[in-house]
Amino acid sequence: MRILPAITRYIYLTILFLSIPLLSRAESTDFLRSTGKIYSVVGVILILFVVIVIYLFSLDRKVTRIEEQNFDNE
Amino acid sequence: MLRQNWWKLLGVLIFGYVLVAGLLTPLKPGITDATPYTAVAGSSVDINVQGYNTHFEDGQSQVAFLKNRQQQVIQANSFRSTGNQSSVFSFDLPDMVDKDKARLTLVVNNSLDGSIILPDAITVTKGTGSISNSATWMPFDVGSLHVLEDFRFPYRNTLNETIRNTFFHVAIWFAMFILFIVGLIYSIKYLLKRNLRHDHIAAAFTEVGIIFGIVGLATGSIWAKYTWGTWWTDDVKLNMSAVAMLIYFAYSILRLSVKDIDSKARLSSAYNIFSFAVLIPLIFVLPRMTDSLHPGNGGNPALGGEDLENSLRVVFYPAVIGLTLIGVWMSTLVYRIGILKDQWINDL
Repeated sequence: MRILPAITRYIYLTILFLSIPLLSRAESTDFLRSTGKIYSVVGVILILFVVIVIYLFSLDRKVTRIEEQNFDNE
Repeated sequence: MLRQNWWKLLGVLIFGYVLVAGLLTPLKPGITDATPYTAVAGSSVDINVQGYNTHFEDGQSQVAFLKNRQQQVIQANSFRSTGNQSSVFSFDLPDMVDKDKARLTLVVNNSLDGSIILPDAITVTKGTGSISNSATWMPFDVGSLHVLEDFRFPYRNTLNETIRNTFFHVAIWFAMFILFIVGLIYSIKYLLKRNLRHDHIAAAFTEVGIIFGIVGLATGSIWAKYTWGTWWTDDVKLNMSAVAMLIYFAYSILRLSVKDIDSKARLSSAYNIFSFAVLIPLIFVLPRMTDSLHPGNGGNPALGGEDLENSLRVVFYPAVIGLTLIGVWMSTLVYRIGILKDQWINDL
């Protein structure tokens, strides 16, 4: 049972990783190219930020779970 | 509190510097396109030049050259600028004696831009055109040219502004590698001393390293789209780094699938050593043995010579340090959570 959370976490990350290209494909690529491709840099920084934030949320959830379990024991 | 946590603040401050310096420093001027691509020797040609960050109109004492492989040049007779980003340069091409074909490099120089270079801008073929002009090849006098002294990032064709991704995409792989090395050291330490804390440290650093690796793959995919034109390609470097990440995914799964704490620590420590041993050939050896689109492969090592200019190093090395510090911070959080979990299990 404990293996499940890890797998779902990687599934989430994989979906995120796959969905970014799909989302950005909706925008006009010509716009991105007309500005010296600066928006690819914005995209890269956004991915970095979003993944770190998602990871922080997952850590947050883990801490909450431990806190709840300790509370139940006492 | 600050006495213990100064390095976390330092990491964030360094990364802030990387964001500001990495995004606000302008690129050097460059030429995005020059048409036509071909011309016949012994004729006149008007080369229509599109510039990026250039000052064709504002720059003083502007000259343009076509340079051949023997460091000889022909100078443009005249130019007509329609704005700072676009200009037409007129050249008289001399007859070619010995060769059938020559690829010429376009050099534009003015007081504001320094030298702007487009390699292999035009291919000149031997033809029937013959104008009795005075155009001849002259030796290239570099000393008379203006030099751009500002702190700028280099302009590269097709890379353009994406050269700034070096500070994020490449730096995060470096940071991942440092985290994996720390994880490896603590896995070895665990196997030598059998201290469970060492295993927790190894697990934490490896887990954050995996997150950084995922960011590395995703950011590389975006960068590839805007330079190579595809999200993913059958390149050795790309495929092998994806395989390396899968091997590390298995490390996480292995840790969660073994219940007994001691056997979990022993198994995963041993596995971590093997996965690191596989990571090195996958990322550093195999891509260099064949041709690769990815810079730093196919025999030429990255960070050597032309691959990374000094202006990029000023931001790139801090980026590696900043992201590593942030990664270490994240790892300490994971470590503390792991320890708490173990204590809770022991209390039951």
